[in-house]
Amino acid sequence: MHKHLITLGFVGLYVALDAASFIHPLHGLNITPWNPAPALGLVFLLRRGPGARPVLVGAVLLSEYLVRGVPFPWWDSVLSALILAAGYLLLSEALVRRMSPSTLLDDRAALLGWMLPVVFGTLLNSLVYVSSLHVLGLLPPGGWLTGVLQFWVGDAVGITVAMPLFWWLSGERGRLALRAALVGWETLGYSLLGLLALWVAFGLGGDGGFKLFYFLFLPIVWASARQGMAGAIVSATLLQVGVIAAVQLLDFSAVTVAELQMLAVVMALIGFFIGGVVDEQRRTSDELRQTLRLAAAGEMAGALAHELNQPLTAMGAYASAYDALQARGEGGARLDAAINGMRAEARRAGEVVRRLRDFFRTGATKLEAVPLAEIVAAAAAHYQAKARQSGVGFCVAEMPELMLLADRLQLEVVLRNLLSNAFDAVAAADAGARQVSIRAERLPGELVSICVEDSGSGLGRQDLERAFESFHSSKSRGLGLGLVISRAIAETHGGRLWGEVADHGVFKLVLPIQETPRP
Amino acid sequence: MTDNLTVFIVDDDPSVRDALGLLLGVHDYRLAVFADADSFLRALKPHWHGCLLLDIRMPGMDGLSLQKKLLELGCDLPVVIMTGHGDVDSAREAFRAMAVDFLEKPLDGARLLAAIAEAFERQRQAADAAASRSQIQRRLDGLTPREREVMARVVAGRHNREIAAELAISPRTVEVHKARMMDKLGVASVAELVRLSLG
Repeated sequence: MHKHLITLGFVGLYVALDAASFIHPLHGLNITPWNPAPALGLVFLLRRGPGARPVLVGAVLLSEYLVRGVPFPWWDSVLSALILAAGYLLLSEALVRRMSPSTLLDDRAALLGWMLPVVFGTLLNSLVYVSSLHVLGLLPPGGWLTGVLQFWVGDAVGITVAMPLFWWLSGERGRLALRAALVGWETLGYSLLGLLALWVAFGLGGDGGFKLFYFLFLPIVWASARQGMAGAIVSATLLQVGVIAAVQLLDFSAVTVAELQMLAVVMALIGFFIGGVVDEQRRTSDELRQTLRLAAAGEMAGALAHELNQPLTAMGAYASAYDALQARGEGGARLDAAINGMRAEARRAGEVVRRLRDFFRTGATKLEAVPLAEIVAAAAAHYQAKARQSGVGFCVAEMPELMLLADRLQLEVVLRNLLSNAFDAVAAADAGARQVSIRAERLPGELVSICVEDSGSGLGRQDLERAFESFHSSKSRGLGLGLVISRAIAETHGGRLWGEVADHGVFKLVLPIQETPRP
Repeated sequence: MTDNLTVFIVDDDPSVRDALGLLLGVHDYRLAVFADADSFLRALKPHWHGCLLLDIRMPGMDGLSLQKKLLELGCDLPVVIMTGHGDVDSAREAFRAMAVDFLEKPLDGARLLAAIAEAFERQRQAADAAASRSQIQRRLDGLTPREREVMARVVAGRHNREIAAELAISPRTVEVHKARMMDKLGVASVAELVRLSLG
């Protein structure tokens, strides 16, 4: 029942679109500068599959009869409508292989895969259809070329501009994305800008051959750059409707209308491609964020492994003690202590595991009040032995007495990463000149600045910018994600991390201090 | 005897200290626990005997540094190292600094007890060796200068005649010195004397 309703709705909408776009017809034929109905037909065919073919043919025939009547022998009219319908069926066949039901045409490859068949398919269709009209004697002599061109422009523009809109509206994901785009205040903004641009292009510049048409690009570029493909579809539709309304109001000639339609299609395509690129880039950055989260989780896992080792060690020892007590049949306080110890340590291990899981899931941080000195000491502890082995002067300055509201493990990962970089940086220096230091000072505004310095050669501005980019590393091992992750962690703590341009390595981590003093 | 069976634990994790304390307490070891290297060093007394159970990763001075420091101080407590991430480098460093064993966390109870037992065994052997060394030293101290001269030459493989010539005394006197010296040192043959002189 639902399906039949949609079928009926489709036929009704098809006829209505055909009627609305039956403007400036060439010789009273179905050759108009704007023909969006086939876009609807194609989407219907693509969504419904081969079973929808008779419905489309029926809609084309019905529309022909209702919109244009039967001005000449009816079989000619039916034949030309059938030829037209056959053309759309063929075009949908060409598209079905390129458009999976789930695509939103929001990347460049999908856009090209859709656009090229539309452009060439409509050209072929126009050649066959107009030639058939010519053969049937419905076209005046010499009108063939104009007819082919006008029909092609009308169909190509209609399909190109309207099909993405229908495609999105006919799918769940597309509808949601469109709705999300429509409620943004920016939609109102570029719609108003679009009206203004239309007024400038047609009202002010209409007399001078549309010299000011380029204003129309502004809303399209705004919409697609900010909202991606969804914005491009909305703005292209608005502009198309605006252009058609303007030419109707201002009563332009059919030739001018065709030229304006060329302009509309170019603008729509530019919008779609910008939107596609924007969407692609957004998806890439989402994927990258996910990857970063996994990489950060990997680093966290290393730190957590140590955290897990402690309760496991304690549990093992309690269990061995329990065995020994059991063996000699001793009960009482010591047995209880062993059992209680195991229970407490199991809980502690569970806590560690939960944090790792949380991190994988959300990158969530577990904030607690920790003394700065403790975090720094824990991070520096890893490097004491390394400093001794590789002859590096490692100076851990006295830390100011203050508390941070922080995820201890995550901040430790950051500091370890900075120290690791510093040790790598001095590895190439002369044996006597290898120095790494970490110190901290209080800044006004409840902040603390932790500074890791090394006696290496330092980084230039360009190197520094690149150092914080993913997948860039001067190291031969690893992906160079350390600084990217560290910066992300610093930012989730409400802090900042940056490197300074200097003749030696300087990295600074600024973090907010917990304002309430330690109870 | 119990004084010789103290296990000194240095680990920054209170639960680990507590659990190890219980385990070793159940096995009748006496315990002393420390949260970091500094507090251990401050408390350290030269007469302490027993064995030291050390975690590598601790805030402040780490376990391996403490181990080296103790070596420098001439402290002969045998050391068992524990670590969460046992890499080859730290294991090498630990064993070069005479660690008895290098245990990875999570610890295996039996291995820990075996390592501690071995540490005590080593300490006992070292104490025995030291005792016999000091006994020998006492005996050596009881020799006269002449007897020492004779001993040095006997150990070097000289005959009585040669020794007599070198010291410008009669071979008969050399024999007397030699007999008295061997008697004082409690050795029955030249071979035993040589072994003793090698320490």
